[in-house]
Amino acid sequence: MGVGANLAPAEKRSHEAQVAGAMSGFARETGALSAFRLESCIHCGICADACHFYIATEDPQYTPIWKVEPFKQAYKREASAFAPLFRLLGLKREVTADQLAQWQHLLFDSCNMCGRCSLICPMGIDVAALIEQARHAMFEAGLAPAELYQKAAHQQLTGQPESSAEPYRDKLLAIGQQFGVEIPLDKPQAEVMLCVPRTDIEHYPASVAALARVMQHLQVSCTFRSDGLVAENYGYYAGGMAWQRDISRRLIDQAIACHASILLVPECGHAYAALRWEAADLYGKPLPFRVLQVSEFLAEQLASGRLKLRPSGTGATTFQDPCESARKGGVNHAPRALMKAMGIELHEQKNHGGFSFCCGGGGGVLDIERAAPLRYRTMENKLREIDDTGASTFLTSCSDCRRTFDDAKTHFDWQKTPQSLLELIADNLMGAAPRT
Amino acid sequence: MLHTDAHITVGEMLRRHGISRRGFIKFCTATASAMALPPEMGVAMADQLRGAVRPSVIYLSFQECTGCLESLTRSFAPTIESLIFNVISLDYDDTLMAAAGGAAESARDKAMHDNFGKYVLVVDGSVPTGAGGGYCMAGGRSAEDILREAAKGAAAIVCVGTCAAFGGIPFADPNPTQAWPVTAIVGDKPIINVSGCPPIPEVITGTLLQFVTTGKVPDLDEHLRPKVFFGNTIHDRCYRRPFYDQGKFAKTFDDEGARNGWCLYELGCKGPTTYNACATIKWNGGTSFPIESGHGCLGCSEPGFWDQGSFYAAQSAAAWGKAGEAVPRKVMEVAAAAVVTGGALGVGSAGVSRMRQRRSEQDAIDRKSDGG
Amino acid sequence: MDLLSFARGPALKVALTIFCLGVVWRIVGFALLRIRLDRSPARASVPKFLAGGLLTIGTRSWPHPEFIARTGAGEAIGYSYHMGLFVIVLLFGPHIAFLGSLFGFTWPGLPSSLITVISVLTVTLFLAVLFRRVTNPVIRMLSNFDDYFSWFITMAVMATGIAATAHLGGPYQTLLAHHILSVDVLLVWFPFGKLMHAFYIFPSRAINGAILARKGATS
Repeated sequence: MGVGANLAPAEKRSHEAQVAGAMSGFARETGALSAFRLESCIHCGICADACHFYIATEDPQYTPIWKVEPFKQAYKREASAFAPLFRLLGLKREVTADQLAQWQHLLFDSCNMCGRCSLICPMGIDVAALIEQARHAMFEAGLAPAELYQKAAHQQLTGQPESSAEPYRDKLLAIGQQFGVEIPLDKPQAEVMLCVPRTDIEHYPASVAALARVMQHLQVSCTFRSDGLVAENYGYYAGGMAWQRDISRRLIDQAIACHASILLVPECGHAYAALRWEAADLYGKPLPFRVLQVSEFLAEQLASGRLKLRPSGTGATTFQDPCESARKGGVNHAPRALMKAMGIELHEQKNHGGFSFCCGGGGGVLDIERAAPLRYRTMENKLREIDDTGASTFLTSCSDCRRTFDDAKTHFDWQKTPQSLLELIADNLMGAAPRT
Repeated sequence: MLHTDAHITVGEMLRRHGISRRGFIKFCTATASAMALPPEMGVAMADQLRGAVRPSVIYLSFQECTGCLESLTRSFAPTIESLIFNVISLDYDDTLMAAAGGAAESARDKAMHDNFGKYVLVVDGSVPTGAGGGYCMAGGRSAEDILREAAKGAAAIVCVGTCAAFGGIPFADPNPTQAWPVTAIVGDKPIINVSGCPPIPEVITGTLLQFVTTGKVPDLDEHLRPKVFFGNTIHDRCYRRPFYDQGKFAKTFDDEGARNGWCLYELGCKGPTTYNACATIKWNGGTSFPIESGHGCLGCSEPGFWDQGSFYAAQSAAAWGKAGEAVPRKVMEVAAAAVVTGGALGVGSAGVSRMRQRRSEQDAIDRKSDGG
Repeated sequence: MDLLSFARGPALKVALTIFCLGVVWRIVGFALLRIRLDRSPARASVPKFLAGGLLTIGTRSWPHPEFIARTGAGEAIGYSYHMGLFVIVLLFGPHIAFLGSLFGFTWPGLPSSLITVISVLTVTLFLAVLFRRVTNPVIRMLSNFDDYFSWFITMAVMATGIAATAHLGGPYQTLLAHHILSVDVLLVWFPFGKLMHAFYIFPSRAINGAILARKGATS
């Protein structure tokens, strides 16, 4: 739980400034709802039993509500009904910079923001929402982990989390060439605006091609926009709300510019959460278009009969529900409808659907190097559950989940390979010419 | 009327009244047994009594209703109880004695003088100190004066009835006569409180008899009541206890529960907190006691029983209002006031919190921040 | 004034006042903080998400199958002693008489001997709960003065209540006075500690359940 190198660069703030930053960051978001959640905790410890970090390590510090402990203390001291009394009588201590430094590990390294804790709390507290709020405060304190901070800063400035030899726009077109599919780019007007996970651009170009192919097959009026290409939002991961807003603004502005009625979120869980459920609030007003995850969109097409799918012949299959789009986002039904349409024999994991365990890479944990050992420990259970289904095919609809499992494949010498649901759909479009 | 033949022994008196030694021993054994003394004590008591020169007893009545004396004289077996009056030499009792006025007073003074340090002083009624003692005067002297003087030569003082023991009804709120129990006036003599409103006859006689025969004050509880009679609560010995334990309570007088003899807790019975012998010795020679007759115990042998709220409100009821006041109404008033005040304080503290929030946000904007 | 009259009279009045005042203060104190309305379009219709909220009140009382293996035992103990407490407080004759005297109406109760059995079971569970709090690493880490004192004062109320009903350990007046005094202390403590969860639990489940239902999220 070291500090030092993990202070985001240029954030060489004094301890007082750190604490002040954290407190004001947290205070800004502490309205009646957050306050009610903090008030309701009865210290039962049941949230630990939902968190795979605790389950894998039996280390009590990973108890979800404990991850927001400094902020719970701060709330009681600063904003609760009896706060003046507490301050006067010295009954609640002030949060210290040391505490915040310790808590960086708990809030970022050991939390995937998966939201499982919010399902188990007997008091009905949305613990994940409190953790998200706490991460915002940590960012304001200058205590976001370096990897996340740097990517967020870069993305806010340039639109890309990392610099690349070629700008993504060019890579996108190259992918189209490589896979022989048309990439609609910078059309002045389109029904649907598309974007891609930068993980796909870098690591799974076939998914990008699949997206374009499916849209083409459906003859949907759609376009990518050079100035709003990347789906992921590193501001969201790092907890920097202003940067999250700026990053979302790129996509929003481009969608408005091309008069899109739908902003299509590709296979990326956090992108969906940031756009579907948080962008409008950061933007300041309702968005003038629908936000749909690609599975949702395709499920709608399936229901209306416009999309027809062939049996995929994949044998026993299991599916990874991305936490942010499924459990937290509400996209539960769509992927399964699509799989059913492909005649897939779905073998569910012991914990599936809204109760699925996170892949282990969510919340930015995949990007935090020092968190890798801990992440691998949590994945052991997940990999076992997948293997226990007896499935031979492993599908997901989130590129970061896919990346996380690929990484685990290497680390554990795991036998399965994560595949994209979208790619499978693209390969089984009925009425499309078979692909070479 | 009673004679004060100071030189006749008890044995002689008994013989004159045709009571055999055997019959007297039987009585004393029964009395001893009622006081949880071993049966041999009965014989010893009898022998002691028969040979005793009857001790002098001065009975003073102050602010009282005479109920205690009535109880004492309404004893079941008058022949036996009136023998007790011949066992003791009742040298003064302004209700019972034939003399009145100056003659009565000088008889008392003589008895007090002749038996100084040895007479038993029995008191009933409370002692008022208001209006310079004017609320209770006899022979131009206040009750307080009379008591203080009589106490000087007493071997012991027996306070008969709740008024003498604890102040009783005159002491009840608002106590307009500033009445006091005997213990508030006299401190330096052995005092035995035989409380009850009135006390059970046999409890009075048993206590007197015990002191007279042994010369010792019996074991007393913290209210100076003989433990042998006041050691258990009515509840501890009540024959309706099984119904209490089963939760079978009469809800109103003469409802089905009442007719089935169910517990009278909800009708205000103070049995659980009242120490007396009513449930065992009972009244009218063991005929019955209030609960057996269908009315809850009033708690009349306890201090302040007049001010414990309604006689008909259950023991566990809140004791906010004076008897007769509707507590639900009071509760609602207090709760409403508290809620309104709490709400106002809440609005205040929320206001303070929001102000601090705004200030903290303003500070953040003012602070140079890379992260936005 | 003797201890029992004090406990049932002025002490009770003060305790109830502080209770009402404190509870309202605490709730109003946070309920009037800022409320942020969600600008994202709902997935579910208004009736659906209201229903979702109300449903969550019930569904959170029973752990989901995915969790029950780990949480079942602890939750069973917790819910059991709560039920025990409700039965004792609301269905015991003298308590009904007491509440009736405060609020003006009564209701039928259970036989007192059954209540005694339930009290003993509840106290046993309550001791188990403290044992768990002290030995389980997660719960021990989370615990503070509030947790221990709230436990203590609730236990005191139960223990003195059993002592009073069974006439154990002193004259009845004293035992009853201790019991009522401990209730007074509990009422005074109530607004300042975790006992407030009695007021929070249903609204919390409902509100958070509704927010999740609005998104179509799992709840």
